[in-house]
Amino acid sequence: MDKEESTVESKECSDRSELVSEEGKNLKSVLCQRCGSKVLCPGMAVFSDKELFLPPMKNKKALSVTEGSGDSLAAHWLVDDMYTFENVGFTNDVGRIKYLICADCEIGPIGWHCLDDKKSFYVAVERVDHA
Amino acid sequence: MDPRYEIQRRAGGGGSSNSSPALGAQSRRRKIPPRPADFKLQIIIIGSRGVGKTSLMERFTDDTFCEACKSTVGVDFKIKTVDLRGKKIRLQIWDTAGQERFNSITSAYYRGAKGIVLVYDITKQETFEDLPKWMKMIDKYASEEAELLLVGNKLDCETDRIVTKQQAERFASRISGMRFCEASAKDNFNVDEIFLKLVDDILSKMPLEIPNMELSNSILSLQPEPEVPPELPPPRMRCC
Repeated sequence: MDKEESTVESKECSDRSELVSEEGKNLKSVLCQRCGSKVLCPGMAVFSDKELFLPPMKNKKALSVTEGSGDSLAAHWLVDDMYTFENVGFTNDVGRIKYLICADCEIGPIGWHCLDDKKSFYVAVERVDHA
Repeated sequence: MDPRYEIQRRAGGGGSSNSSPALGAQSRRRKIPPRPADFKLQIIIIGSRGVGKTSLMERFTDDTFCEACKSTVGVDFKIKTVDLRGKKIRLQIWDTAGQERFNSITSAYYRGAKGIVLVYDITKQETFEDLPKWMKMIDKYASEEAELLLVGNKLDCETDRIVTKQQAERFASRISGMRFCEASAKDNFNVDEIFLKLVDDILSKMPLEIPNMELSNSILSLQPEPEVPPELPPPRMRCC
């Protein structure tokens, strides 16, 4: 009945309510922006505002060379088991981090996993499509 | 609660509904709960350098591969989902590309594998001659129950063929339980079938009663265990 977030405050809020359920889960499928490969089914992940740094998507050398550049992102889909994913790839370790990529076209990084926290797998909301 | 009465196992959340299915009228806003995976299987792809292991994995579900966007860090493994026999199966696929020197692949790769795809190149005799060395590694490290599939890749290069189909069939027939087929990752010929066939064989072998063990989430100690499999009617699948 009451929509707490339905003020005209920002577009982000309305975007968010389209994506996140009342229970904090993803309402839509999470897909690769480039090839449409399905990463997560609806309702399988919870929204997290943890701030994470991801190297840029477009630059081929991003992961290995340009350590400084990238995006600090604070909207993620979080799952606690890698087998929750429909399709996803894991890069080799970069320090204690494994980046998540599309399993089919290998674009990325679309997400983040730290080897020190085996129950947290993050997919950046900004770097995937929702349908 | 009694797990026998749960409709969906491990539904990955989906709220705290305790609604009875009898109260249909009240379930207006309930969506179909997320469907969990029925099985989780670990598969490794091995074979000598240049036989096309990685292309087999990329071709598996999609053709939109583009070299330019691959990260230089390299891919460690992938989770992929297939539907077979009405079951949703999550595959964890390890491509050993770049670690082709036999002893550089650690035993950890072999240990948990339910399926092993051994690849050679039909146009390169040496990749076929390497097979016994790979078999030695499998014998040493892999589970005895692991399904083995020998794949002669690069069928699109038929004119350059060196290894005959009969040679490979003979090799495979000497190893108990090993299947064989030829494929072309380039033409996407038989590639899906390779994985589906392998998964089908793995499912056929699964005992009906398996303790419902939770999978370790650790990347370093991946020991996939199946969940309780219901009855599995054996469909026939064409591979070669």
